[in-house]
Amino acid sequence: MRVIILSWEFPPRVVGKLAEYINALSTQLVKNKVETYVVTYHDFLTGTVEEASGVKTVRVANPVRTHIGVLTWDLTLNQEVERAAANIYYQANKQIDLINVYEWHFIPAAVTLKNALNVPFVYSVESLEDHRSPNSNTPYNMSIKSIEWLGFYEAARVSVKSDWMRDEIVRIYNVPKEKVKVVSPSTPSWIKDVLELYNSVAGGLDSE
Amino acid sequence: MKNELSVMMFSWEFPPRVIGGISPHVYFLSKSLAKNGVKVHVVTCDFPGAPAHEVIDGVNVYRIDSYKNPAPDFATWVYLMNLNMQREAAAIVNKLGGKIDVFHAHDWLVATAGIGLKHVFRKPLLVTMHSTEIGRRDGLHTDTEKMIHETEAWLTYEAWKVICCSDYMVSHVKWAFGLPEDKLVMIPNGVNTHVYESSEKEACESFRTKFALPEEKFVLYVGRLVYEKGIHVLINAVPKVLEKVNAKFIIIGSGYMKEQLLNIVRSMRLEHKVLFMGFVDDETLLKLQKCADVSVVPSLFEPFGIVALEAMAAKSPVVVSDTGGLSEIVDHDTTGFKAYPNNPDSLAWGITKILLDENYRNYIRENAYRKVQEKYDWEKIAQQTKAIYKAVLGEYSKSFWA
Repeated sequence: MRVIILSWEFPPRVVGKLAEYINALSTQLVKNKVETYVVTYHDFLTGTVEEASGVKTVRVANPVRTHIGVLTWDLTLNQEVERAAANIYYQANKQIDLINVYEWHFIPAAVTLKNALNVPFVYSVESLEDHRSPNSNTPYNMSIKSIEWLGFYEAARVSVKSDWMRDEIVRIYNVPKEKVKVVSPSTPSWIKDVLELYNSVAGGLDSE
Repeated sequence: MKNELSVMMFSWEFPPRVIGGISPHVYFLSKSLAKNGVKVHVVTCDFPGAPAHEVIDGVNVYRIDSYKNPAPDFATWVYLMNLNMQREAAAIVNKLGGKIDVFHAHDWLVATAGIGLKHVFRKPLLVTMHSTEIGRRDGLHTDTEKMIHETEAWLTYEAWKVICCSDYMVSHVKWAFGLPEDKLVMIPNGVNTHVYESSEKEACESFRTKFALPEEKFVLYVGRLVYEKGIHVLINAVPKVLEKVNAKFIIIGSGYMKEQLLNIVRSMRLEHKVLFMGFVDDETLLKLQKCADVSVVPSLFEPFGIVALEAMAAKSPVVVSDTGGLSEIVDHDTTGFKAYPNNPDSLAWGITKILLDENYRNYIRENAYRKVQEKYDWEKIAQQTKAIYKAVLGEYSKSFWA
């Protein structure tokens, strides 16, 4: 199996808890014979590297340096994420089983790649805009929520780390409960659950 | 045709959505390309009442949901619109079995959609730069302006070829983004001469009585009443022209300088000679252009100068200021009169000369019309554009993407 993970943080760029988690996940995937690529953001450590763990990382920077907000920064960076992911796709003879996108930032790229190249994606949710900015309905917050919504709509499966988060997604976004899988890193079956989820998506649910 | 060349164009405006000049440009270019055997798909923003998909004279037009995401400001809306444009265009190309040969973007407003799809499908991207942020704003003063400028730079970087509509814009774009010479191509903007052929010339006699006395010559200005269009230069030239010729000045368009200009006209006691008409409908404008004895384009800054071309197509002799794109459209004493920019005496000289010398007037009129047909005809522009597509595909076929 060949998987591309899209995450806006990955060591050495650590913003929150996500960087370490992606590091652990990708390392475990390689150990379980999944060819794993991580496409991530870095301002200057750009390029492709094979990590000691066997994970292949591609770091991209934003060609547009001046921004008026997180949204414009994010929406321009996505083209570079697409470029990196497309390069992996073509070098692998178009054999990518799935994309796993973490958080909302790279959902635009995942959505384009799915629509263009028929590569399905799993949307993994760490947190929601509704929880990060409670009761905020500014165009800025609504815009991020609309990108989250697009992710839920286009994803083959959604993965979360707790039952609570699954229920929140069902409550806020009306996502069918069956579409959301709870994969908790604190259980012994964690990586087995991840692989099971990937296997259910690989090859494309939509084409069934 | 079997090996039909196919292009997908991105434009944020396409009729009936008309905001500026890109909309008619893409409309005529795509139709003329289709006539020349190119399979054209235009992906554009939606518009109330316009269908999501239609075929216009062989052109496939797709209108995407462009207000799907709430946006805090215009620039962010542009990038969010591009997200949706990219998503829908990706699905269209996928449905066509990837059978698109080139992507063609118009301005930064569709930059990220074009760039993303280029890489995802590995097809060459071309861009037409109709204008630049640094030119529009005369410098980069805010973060938004800098961001747009950098997006434009990125788009020209990613493009295989950058098309500009005048030599002036070629040198401007080359300077603004530091592009190599061989990346730039000049293909002029076009004018639809057929529109002017359709209405009869005889109607002028009765039509002009609405605006001018029979003994008055008829001078036309079409443009916004703003500083860069140099309308104040024309107003200052009015008494100088009237010393020699009896004429009526018809001013079409509106802008922030209107009151100021009216005051100047009043102080000169020439209200009966200068008529401010604001906006007029397309048919009236067409007739005015056809019936004018002279059309004046006194701009101080002009990237292209479509108004001069329209006048030439309407067989109205033109007096323009020698600047920007106008310098290229008009050859002095051959296809028009070129006045010194920002110089009412020079402008008055040109207007007077055309109005008094009938031979000169007719000579210029005929030459100008011929030039429009030879150089600014959509048919020719489509052929040039198709040739660029083919040249790019030739280079592309030798690349590892092919």
